[in-house]
Amino acid sequence: MTRWLVPIARRCVQLLSLGVLMLLPIMALYMHFKEAHAIHDLGENNWRNVAVRGIERVVNKDESRQKLVQQTQGTIWSARLFGVSLSDPLAGAEAIISSRSFYKPMLWSLLIPVAVTVLLGRVFCGWICPMNTLLEVVDKCRRLLRIAEIRERDVKFSLKNKYLILAVTLGLVGATGVPFVALFYPPAVMSREVHLFVFGSTVGIGAYVLLAICAIELFVSKRWWCRYICPGGALYSLLGRFRVVRVERDENKCVQCGECVRVCQFDLRPMLVQITGMECTNCGSCVRACNDDALRFRWMLPVIRMTNDERPNDERRPNAEARTVPAQILRHSIFFILSSLVIGHSSLAHAHHILGLPHYSYKENYPQAPTLEYPATTGPYDLLMTSFPGHPVPGERTTIAFYIKDRNTGLPYELPVSLRALKTATFGENTLIFEPTVHEPTGNQHKYFVTFPDDGEYIAELTMDVEGKPEVIPFLMIAGEPTATKSVVIAIVAGLGVFLLVVRAIKLKRNRRRAANQRGAEVPHQPTEPLTTDH
Amino acid sequence: MTHDRRDFLLNLLGLGAATATGSVGVGLFNQPAHAHSPIRPPGALSEADFLSTCIRCQRCADACPNHCIKATPETEGPVRAGTPFIQPREQACMLCSRVETEHLRCTEACPSGALQLIAKTLIDIQQKAQMGKAKVDLNLCYSYNDFTCGTCLKACPVGALKTGLWARPIVDVDACVGCGLCERVCIRYPHAIRVEPGERQRFDA
Repeated sequence: MTRWLVPIARRCVQLLSLGVLMLLPIMALYMHFKEAHAIHDLGENNWRNVAVRGIERVVNKDESRQKLVQQTQGTIWSARLFGVSLSDPLAGAEAIISSRSFYKPMLWSLLIPVAVTVLLGRVFCGWICPMNTLLEVVDKCRRLLRIAEIRERDVKFSLKNKYLILAVTLGLVGATGVPFVALFYPPAVMSREVHLFVFGSTVGIGAYVLLAICAIELFVSKRWWCRYICPGGALYSLLGRFRVVRVERDENKCVQCGECVRVCQFDLRPMLVQITGMECTNCGSCVRACNDDALRFRWMLPVIRMTNDERPNDERRPNAEARTVPAQILRHSIFFILSSLVIGHSSLAHAHHILGLPHYSYKENYPQAPTLEYPATTGPYDLLMTSFPGHPVPGERTTIAFYIKDRNTGLPYELPVSLRALKTATFGENTLIFEPTVHEPTGNQHKYFVTFPDDGEYIAELTMDVEGKPEVIPFLMIAGEPTATKSVVIAIVAGLGVFLLVVRAIKLKRNRRRAANQRGAEVPHQPTEPLTTDH
Repeated sequence: MTHDRRDFLLNLLGLGAATATGSVGVGLFNQPAHAHSPIRPPGALSEADFLSTCIRCQRCADACPNHCIKATPETEGPVRAGTPFIQPREQACMLCSRVETEHLRCTEACPSGALQLIAKTLIDIQQKAQMGKAKVDLNLCYSYNDFTCGTCLKACPVGALKTGLWARPIVDVDACVGCGLCERVCIRYPHAIRVEPGERQRFDA
């Protein structure tokens, strides 16, 4: 019976964890509105407000329920769920290594996840992790490749790679003292992006990391991340080494059909072992796939030492192509480092003049002053650009004020300055939308009224006199929604569609040419012979 | 067996090389902690300790009843990304004044000890909530420029703003906790009174 029950239970748990993923930020949002006494002026009926009103309807009557909602916060990385504090063991390890101290609340929050993993094994990966759920869907999408007649690539690495990556990651955390794992650890990234989406209707760079992982899974290597890379999975495997629930194979019933090997998402080959090893997530796919009732779940005492026969992984692969090449490990590690460098570099390019609020940190229905400030420095002067409204809609009159102060004397700048505004174009010249205008200061600042004609990114260029030389200081302004999430998603889907179409067209053309060649090879075979006989 | 050992040694070498490259790479972005330090939530450790202790889980941001704590976006670099900060002119810390709670909510929510626990009492808050110090810009403040304003004087929850002649605000640096409510209410754009982040320290329980 467990054969059917376990997969169904697993799907339910997966849906539940996706629900919790969405619920965490929505409950936080509800709490913000509740504490601001603003629950009754939520505004229009978008999905977000409907969810918040729904929670209000459930919670409103009961004070203890309100308390529970108040005590729900955080991301999958570390969360408090209805008052119970839970942390990812990787987060715990990272915190201990980078801060070089033990903090009691952290240890308490690790208690439940570690206990569950020690007893049941790597169940977080198979049952809860939202990234695993997403990647299972992506894995199903590999069927699309078959339709498009793209060769399904499945580059295999050693399953042990992930332990080395875990060691490298924790080593880096220890060496630099920067707990950066949450930047690329997919469940944490996903949870953070969901937060961003719920609070600000946008997604950040993390979404592209997830997208890249999905793309590699789809085109290059099956279940690449979970099998060979994920440091979290490695830690869960190590913790679940001595677990008490395992899948056992009955050798008398097994007919070596290989069905279980085919369905295993983590490439563990249950057909070749007596009991599954430490990387098994107890997902039950193999138990369900087995037609001969040879595989079943069993409670057993911790297996301290596995004999060679029971060892699950690469040593006993039939095709023996297990590779532990250091170059691969290096390549994976360098991938992380490069990606973090790219993220860092993209920030450095802007950081010298954009230190203000990210434009998605405004929430249109939350009561707050929508101003935007960009600080900058030039020569001995501190500049402060203030824009009201901070995120103008096209056609709205925007007040842009510059306050310039001498850092040393503390006195305001009293010479006239000039401002012009340009609309940035992705291709070609920027267009001038605000003619250069010279202003004397009023009330110690220089004020301009600019109207941005349509959605897009603009540059407000201030020209001022610094120690006798004219200096141009650019400020980035965003009007409307230049890169709406919707358009990005549409672009990606359209791009993927076009790509598949092109691939299909190339394949068809090649097939036709090959067919023509074959026909050509058969037909002119005969007329060539008379030609040769003529001579 | 020797083959295994060689593989292991090569792996170890790769591991060491990757760690070294990575340390250099991340170290490049590990700027001095005090440079452009944003305003952190109450009870934060000193900037260097804070950056190495905070696990970027955003529990404090969710727990803040005033929604004043935000997560730093990834565009600020890998060292800062995901850490909480406060922009008082957008939304300031109200020290959980309208909320029933024993400790300040964010400090209670923090799982890693990057925010130290602060009880919701004036003594504890003034001792431990070291978000920054308010500073008045005399060029901009209306009260110092021929208008009488005094808005910020009423906003201060800890009595750190004293009044001079014509409602001119004077900051009592010892009493100020850097909550930023004065900055939030300032009617001047750009704001004439601002919180500047200062040195923070660890309080052992």
